[in-house]
Amino acid sequence: MNTGQNQPAHFALGPLLRGEATVITGWITRWTGGHLLRPAALIVAGAGAFGAAMGSWRAADQALYSAIKLPFILLATAAGNALVNGMLAPLLGLNLRLRESLASVLLSFALAAVILGAFSPLMAFLVWNLPPLRPGVAVTAMAHSVMLLTLVTVIAFAGLASNLRLRQLLRRLGDSEAKATRLLLAWLAVNLLLGSQLSWILRPFIGSPGLPVEFLRDGALHGNFFESVFHSVRQLWPD
Amino acid sequence: MAGLAQPNPKPEKPAMPDSKLNQPPGPPPLPPRSAAERPLGEDPNDRAPIGGAIGVIETVLRHPRRISFQLAQAHATGRLIGLLLTVALGFVAVYGAIVGSFSGGDQWWAAPLKITCGLAVTAAICLPSLHIFACLSGSTARLGEVAGALCGALTLATLLLIGFAPVAWLFSQSTRSIAMMGFLHLAFWLVAAGFGVRYLKSAFQQYGLRSESGLNVWVVIFLLVSLQMTTALRPLVGPAVKGHFLPPPAEKKFFVAHWIDSLDDQADRTTSKGD
Repeated sequence: MNTGQNQPAHFALGPLLRGEATVITGWITRWTGGHLLRPAALIVAGAGAFGAAMGSWRAADQALYSAIKLPFILLATAAGNALVNGMLAPLLGLNLRLRESLASVLLSFALAAVILGAFSPLMAFLVWNLPPLRPGVAVTAMAHSVMLLTLVTVIAFAGLASNLRLRQLLRRLGDSEAKATRLLLAWLAVNLLLGSQLSWILRPFIGSPGLPVEFLRDGALHGNFFESVFHSVRQLWPD
Repeated sequence: MAGLAQPNPKPEKPAMPDSKLNQPPGPPPLPPRSAAERPLGEDPNDRAPIGGAIGVIETVLRHPRRISFQLAQAHATGRLIGLLLTVALGFVAVYGAIVGSFSGGDQWWAAPLKITCGLAVTAAICLPSLHIFACLSGSTARLGEVAGALCGALTLATLLLIGFAPVAWLFSQSTRSIAMMGFLHLAFWLVAAGFGVRYLKSAFQQYGLRSESGLNVWVVIFLLVSLQMTTALRPLVGPAVKGHFLPPPAEKKFFVAHWIDSLDDQADRTTSKGD
């Protein structure tokens, strides 16, 4: 892997956001364990700010809990899937080393977190404009829908932007469009599998006015995300 | 025909010197670049200093590239941002007083205070997403330059509001309709913001923006936030409510719902007066 060998290894936000493939390739190929701290810090700051804004709708405690849980999910997904992601890369035609694949995933998560962080003041402003999510305060269906729609839009935008950048990077690293797309889809699948289950265990992120504010729900480790989706789908069908 | 002097036949000049005739034809010369396409600082006009508040106003209107150039000089960025922000907030405070003049009383000070703080908060919460959208679209601007470009756009927009202020004041003295005044201020804000956006886009072109689509999304977000701010900080046009500087939490609304409610109230009042 000779691409980007002459590029400085200095990590900066601008090239990451602009998707400057040569510079980013340089970081990835010359990275050591210590270099992982910068994107990890970005994930903690960006996703933490977004989590806090999201949780502040329910209570200050919930804001703190969500600020801890959201970055944790991203970091735990990257770490938990590092091995399988590293194995999938050569199997699908990209000769990346384990630390290179971990760095690629971590950078794409950092980009998503930075985008989420940039939107966190807007989320906080939205929360300020909504009736508080507390017992005894009537929250209209419209307020719920606006919150949900905004969250989905922002998270989808962050995810889309980071995956497009990751695909550009993989294409650069592997010199093949098809291989890059294949690997991206494989990584997406395994990251979605772990990430969605971690989110399920660590719920709630926004909270509910009828339930107490807590870090984890009582039955956190009972059931899983896909089981819940399956049951919800089954309820749509008449017996 | 002795009177008709024959003109001396001049020897015909060759169309091209011989030396050039032997050269292979080169590509046609590039058309001269327009001022907007030149790199920042290439034109000596870009490098002229900006002096004080009056200089800032003149520069925003006539030489916006000078602001972009000065913002790119790391040592000058902070001072220029401070100057632009002060001018913008000063202008919007003056326009706020015009808004408050409709109801008078406490609104003389409350409306300018709310509008000034509202604009500053809107700019502050939209700045990070502007930086992100600009970078994703290829801009090489630093956060300081982005903040400066945003402050420049706000300065231009608020300057235009000052231009509209006499018209707004005249209407506020001659009508009692809150909805009408609200609509007028909104229209002035949208026109002023439109020019601000144009300034912003032009500034980002100089920072290497490849596509405007991200910036267009941000413009929509900025406008939504600014419109919601007017509802979150109400009343701005109508009379102040004793004991409630801001609406109580139970009365939080989206701006569209607030507009519809205001129009309904207006219709009710008109009906009850029998107009």
